[in-house]
Amino acid sequence: MKIRTIAFATFGSFLRNKVMILFGSLFACIVLLMMTPLLGYKAMTNASNAQQMQGFILNEVAMVVSLVSGFGSLLAAWAAADSLAGEMKSGTILAVMARPLRRWEFLAGKYLGVLMLMTVYVVAMLGVTLLLAWLGGQGFHTSLWTLLVYPLVRYAIWAAISMLLVTMLHPILVMGIVVVLATLVQLFGSASSPIPAWLRLPVHNVLPLTGLLSEERFLVITRASLRPFPWTSHLTALTYGVDYALVCFLLAVLVFQRRSLTRD
Amino acid sequence: MATPAIEFAGVTKVYQRRLGGVQVAALSGISFAVARGEVCAFLGPNGAGKTTSMNILMGFIYASSGTSRVFGYEPGDVRAKQRIGFLPENFAFYRYLNAEKLLRFHLRLSGRAVADPEALIAGLLAKVKLDGYKGLKIGKYSRGMVQRLGIAQALLGDPELLVLDEPTSGLDPAGRKEVRDLILALKAEGKTIFLSSHILSEVEQICDRVIIIDRGYMVRAGTMQEMLAEGTRVEIVVDQLTEDLEHAVKERGASVEREGNRVRISLDAAQKRAVVEMLWAGGSDVLSLTPVKTSLEETFLKVVAEGGAR
Repeated sequence: MKIRTIAFATFGSFLRNKVMILFGSLFACIVLLMMTPLLGYKAMTNASNAQQMQGFILNEVAMVVSLVSGFGSLLAAWAAADSLAGEMKSGTILAVMARPLRRWEFLAGKYLGVLMLMTVYVVAMLGVTLLLAWLGGQGFHTSLWTLLVYPLVRYAIWAAISMLLVTMLHPILVMGIVVVLATLVQLFGSASSPIPAWLRLPVHNVLPLTGLLSEERFLVITRASLRPFPWTSHLTALTYGVDYALVCFLLAVLVFQRRSLTRD
Repeated sequence: MATPAIEFAGVTKVYQRRLGGVQVAALSGISFAVARGEVCAFLGPNGAGKTTSMNILMGFIYASSGTSRVFGYEPGDVRAKQRIGFLPENFAFYRYLNAEKLLRFHLRLSGRAVADPEALIAGLLAKVKLDGYKGLKIGKYSRGMVQRLGIAQALLGDPELLVLDEPTSGLDPAGRKEVRDLILALKAEGKTIFLSSHILSEVEQICDRVIIIDRGYMVRAGTMQEMLAEGTRVEIVVDQLTEDLEHAVKERGASVEREGNRVRISLDAAQKRAVVEMLWAGGSDVLSLTPVKTSLEETFLKVVAEGGAR
């Protein structure tokens, strides 16, 4: 009950947050901007260039989806950092924590509030993907649950990492570290990376394998269909993601348990 | 014997600046206890360590050493927090909520089962004179209104112990009187109240006991009577005073002030009998003898000055 109260209050505060409104507006602008060439390609399509134009359109859709998906990781990290740091900076945390509420309950409520926001984001992201694919003349002939669950688990990881970091560091520094981590994930995660294996493998084991949780593993937008994967593969990948997020969250609880709640 | 509401034993708090910088001792071995049903003032100049102590008491920060207990529990324990109503210094709030929604939010967090939450919230808002503004967003409240709302949220869980960090801060004289009356009513209900304030005339009217800290050290603790009786003085008015007599009374620590055909002698109450006898014997006519009680403010300033000198 108390965790739910904190979660709903956190989610409610995001909907009124100026930075969040700015994020949302930017998101809408980017999608609208990307739709312009898409619709242009579609308008220029005729019998002689149909196949070439279809390729352009699907590449465009894939780019938008990739951009929106990456943007979501940053949003998850920022929302988690801001939800905790904002309460501490404004001092609202004092009246809240004076209530019979355990510190882990407060943190869990904040985390769930962030996940609620990211659920809305993932649903919006799926909506945009479907809209763009439809505009491009493609339909997804598959179950869409992977397109909802996988990004959500990925965002849960970034939110947990950010929450862990913000229990110790300033939120701006946290965002910087998250960006660096995301870059390292790309750098160390790729098999074709120029980094030597002796360095790549150990670091790779510590960093979150968000590539494993990327919907692009399953979905090839340019074919607009899902690659067949056995359910055990889904289970392993999702369990890995949930476990990674849980470990980061528990570490955040551990650090938050001993830290000062005041601005001193 | 009942467990005290609050117990501090040798509590020390040292802030360490990051990266091995200087250490700042905010509290140095503070020890005191507040009995149940007592209204206790926690006084000290700015930076004395009052808010730090209250933050330790609420479990917001941890003491570097020493022990503290609230109703026998560790600070921050939910069993203790269930029984506490807390008003932080500079009460902060969610600006986008209105008073009703904020109190509903805090009521849910308090875990208190209430048959009619709407009636409880309406009653509390009426008590702090905010019933006319319950729909207005808190971001549009004045400083005084926010403070009243802070008091309402502190009373929400029907707490046994109220910890109030400067409850009258930001209030106008009428608002201060209302808060004072509210505290007196809560005192009559048998609540334990632990408050800090810089308005000592108010503290004098509502508190049973006073604890004074300065620069992290506890410099004085006692009942209000003890505080006010400390250094109690008397004022003697005589018709005339010879130079020899003036010299003699001054030797007993008295101060002499001549006003027209009267002389005012101010001295410690312990000396009054000896001085009056001396004056009679010396031919002065004692016109009046009036006890002059020291105000809490005077005691406070004296204690803090002594602490500074030390």
